[in-house]
Amino acid sequence: MAVVALTMARMKLAVLRHAFHGRRAHTAGTGAALGVLSALGTVYLAFVDLDLLAAGYAVWLLGWLLGPLFMGGGDETLRPEYFSLLGLPPRRLAAGLLAAAFVGVAPLVSLGALLGLLVAGLRLGVANALVAVPAMVLQLAVFVLLSKVSVAVVGLALRTRLGAIVSGLLNGAVLAALGQIWIFFWAFGQTGVPAAVWYLPSGWGLLAVRGRWWALAALAVLVLLLLAAWAALLTRRVGAARASARGRRPITAGTATGAVVAKELRTWSRDLVRNHQLTFALSYGLCFAASPLIIGWDGMLPYAGPIFIVMAAAMAANLYGTDGTALWLTLMTPGASDVRGRQLAWLSVHAPVAIVLTVALTALTGGPWPLILALLPALLGGAAGLVPLISAYALVPGTDPHRRAGNPLRTSEDDGGLTGLAYLMLALVILTGAPAALAAVWYGWAGVATGVLTGALCCWGFGLLAERRLRAHGPELLHVMRTGRKPHTTMKSRFDQLSKTQKTIASWCLGFGAIPLVPQGILASVFVANDMLRHSWFLATYMPPGLRYPVAAAFILLGLAMYGAGVWIVKPRSPGSGPSRD
Amino acid sequence: MSASTHAPALRLVGLAKTFDHKLAVDHVDLEVPSGSFFGLVGPNGAGKTTSLSMAVGLLRPDTGHAEIFGHDVWSAPERAKALVGVLPDGLAMPERLTGREVLTYLGLLRGLAKDVVARRAEELLAVLELDGAEKTLVIEYSTGMRKKIGLATALLHAPRLLVLDEPFEAVDPVSAATIKTILRGFVAGGGSIVLSSHVMALVEQLCDHVAVVDKGRVAATGTLDEVRGGRSLEDAFVGLVSDQVSGVKELSWLSSP
Ligand SMILES: Nc1ncnc2c1ncn2[C@@H]1O[C@H](COP(=O)(O)OP(=O)(O)OP(=O)(O)O)[C@@H](O)[C@H]1O
Ligand SMILES: [Mg+2]
Repeated sequence: MAVVALTMARMKLAVLRHAFHGRRAHTAGTGAALGVLSALGTVYLAFVDLDLLAAGYAVWLLGWLLGPLFMGGGDETLRPEYFSLLGLPPRRLAAGLLAAAFVGVAPLVSLGALLGLLVAGLRLGVANALVAVPAMVLQLAVFVLLSKVSVAVVGLALRTRLGAIVSGLLNGAVLAALGQIWIFFWAFGQTGVPAAVWYLPSGWGLLAVRGRWWALAALAVLVLLLLAAWAALLTRRVGAARASARGRRPITAGTATGAVVAKELRTWSRDLVRNHQLTFALSYGLCFAASPLIIGWDGMLPYAGPIFIVMAAAMAANLYGTDGTALWLTLMTPGASDVRGRQLAWLSVHAPVAIVLTVALTALTGGPWPLILALLPALLGGAAGLVPLISAYALVPGTDPHRRAGNPLRTSEDDGGLTGLAYLMLALVILTGAPAALAAVWYGWAGVATGVLTGALCCWGFGLLAERRLRAHGPELLHVMRTGRKPHTTMKSRFDQLSKTQKTIASWCLGFGAIPLVPQGILASVFVANDMLRHSWFLATYMPPGLRYPVAAAFILLGLAMYGAGVWIVKPRSPGSGPSRD
Repeated sequence: MSASTHAPALRLVGLAKTFDHKLAVDHVDLEVPSGSFFGLVGPNGAGKTTSLSMAVGLLRPDTGHAEIFGHDVWSAPERAKALVGVLPDGLAMPERLTGREVLTYLGLLRGLAKDVVARRAEELLAVLELDGAEKTLVIEYSTGMRKKIGLATALLHAPRLLVLDEPFEAVDPVSAATIKTILRGFVAGGGSIVLSSHVMALVEQLCDHVAVVDKGRVAATGTLDEVRGGRSLEDAFVGLVSDQVSGVKELSWLSSP
């Protein structure tokens, strides 16, 4: 047992050493830095208030549970499939993979955060400090194992349509709750941290340190149970996700674009990963907009539809990448327009849901009709234009659908790239809604006309650009997909050529431009418009009356300027100067 | 179509491709006469797949160009690509469609009329024995079934040139016989075919022209008889591509008792 575990841990270390070069090292470094900051913050809580520390560990637990589901299936450096021919018994395989799972940045950082247990123990007494050491290890094992088990369960669920839908709904709800965490903090601020955080598995280590010795035993039992569950799940992880075998309606289209629409619609309904993404976006939008109801505010409810659109676009950010090398068929038929068909299909899947959601909820709250009706067409058009554009320009090579391993969430080897692309899409789609929103806030119904106009323009113009890109660079994109590697003239390599200062400035601008733009700018002006004053951290709502809109506007300008500066630094200087491509 | 009456079915001129410092295809010149059945043979990694990908416009060459019936693949892609049907090696399909849906989708993409597509799809599925799997999505197909649906998509729009990368790999003997009959009929009807294969007997049986590629270069090309020069194609092939005279080596630890 020990030999297998040790060997696997060393394999993982070797793979990681090869993998951490260049851009991936950069991404991993940023992630690690953020992780260390969070860990330090958590340890600090141990000096302040143990209730808060318990709540902090609950957040870490959620991170471990949910992180992998959005990062392309989590850490799969060593895959169970690699060892299937060795004939290891499942328990030993699971133990070996577990040992390997402890090697890595995330477990190390989490261990750092768990030092808070030691701090808490030292403050309580010698015995408590001694208990803290095994508690830390067991608590970390619980985190890692829960993460593995949740990925395996969702992977299994994605083999049936019902499972895909249910897990999409759950994930959306939990992630929306995390995004709206300030509401819970606000609610807690009035009621105190709920005692429940102590009894979540994330609180057991702390309970043990505080003298409830049974909690230590409970942690150990939980580790054994999770290990057994994971071993059982590993044996069931075979083959790729199955599509449902029902409902084969013949294609009735008569044109090339119609054929693309028909193909895409079938893929949307048959690919369970896409089912999952769609219900995820829907659930996220609804829960995000509905959670302020907890504190008795329904003003966000009408935005469920717009949020759904933005989230759904982010999920489809790598549209061409997920189809893999099937792009060759598009290259062989240069006369037909693939992009327009995909746009139509995206709209016909998402627009009805978004429209029904928006109209129903806005009618319910009697909400700001001009703003909502301005956002709806602007965002729909913006998303329909950006989805093909971004996926053609910033393509992250995916694994061909028929070559994917047992983990259906893993559509690409480059999970960092996928996550980055999703965030880029979020920011850009929100930007496409900005002109209409501003027009609606300032001039009322004129915003709707603006929204229809910018939506139509984005859909048409971005689609055109995407089509040009496919026509001019199709073979290069296919090559990227075939080999999983980027050729030399992309934005990434341009990024590598920048000086360190330029890189830092560009990363800060692009990474944090959203903060002044969205919450401090756009959201704050929405709050001001609704007379929601002295609102958590939205600065403009604390200003004297005359300064509220100017402050929000200044933040919007600052955000736009940050994006502008970031893009200006990163953008290729002279298009002709790259290596020749004929 | 005036350019195409006397032009060769496929002409490669000085095609070269380097992958990260490795010269995969080294200035290949090749002419496939109209109406010929052309076999491309060569050891693993010789550059067959790379050359064929460049020939049909799926991979951009570093230098050189390719013409299909006189139409340049890169400057006149619409005309060139309408004349060719391609079976690439190991590329994906629209995976969540059934075989019939794939053919319908592609036929419409190629600009064929609806009823024509329906008729041809029906016939292709029946001949290639894929109609039993009416409800199966392509992602659930076996390796051989994937080859067959790929061949069907290459044939669907009745092209004048077929470029097939290892069409017989993983295909069962009955289907292989069917495919051979289809391909022979296609050539008899005036079509041209380029196929790559590792099976010398098959190439000898089917092809009238052969090219041997090795290390990214054309080692020999011409009619079948010119290339094999009185020997079997296999002997001629081994003579052309192996550098050592020592012949085939054995694994000592496997053959010793
Ligand atoms: N994407 C790539 N990146 C790097 N090298 C490559 C790539 N594709 C092919 N090669 C190299 O180019 C050479 C030619 O490969 P190619 O696939 O064309 O050979 P082939 O003749 O089709 O071989 P086989 O008979 O095995 O199919 C090989 O040496 C291969 O290693
Ligand atoms: Mg090959």
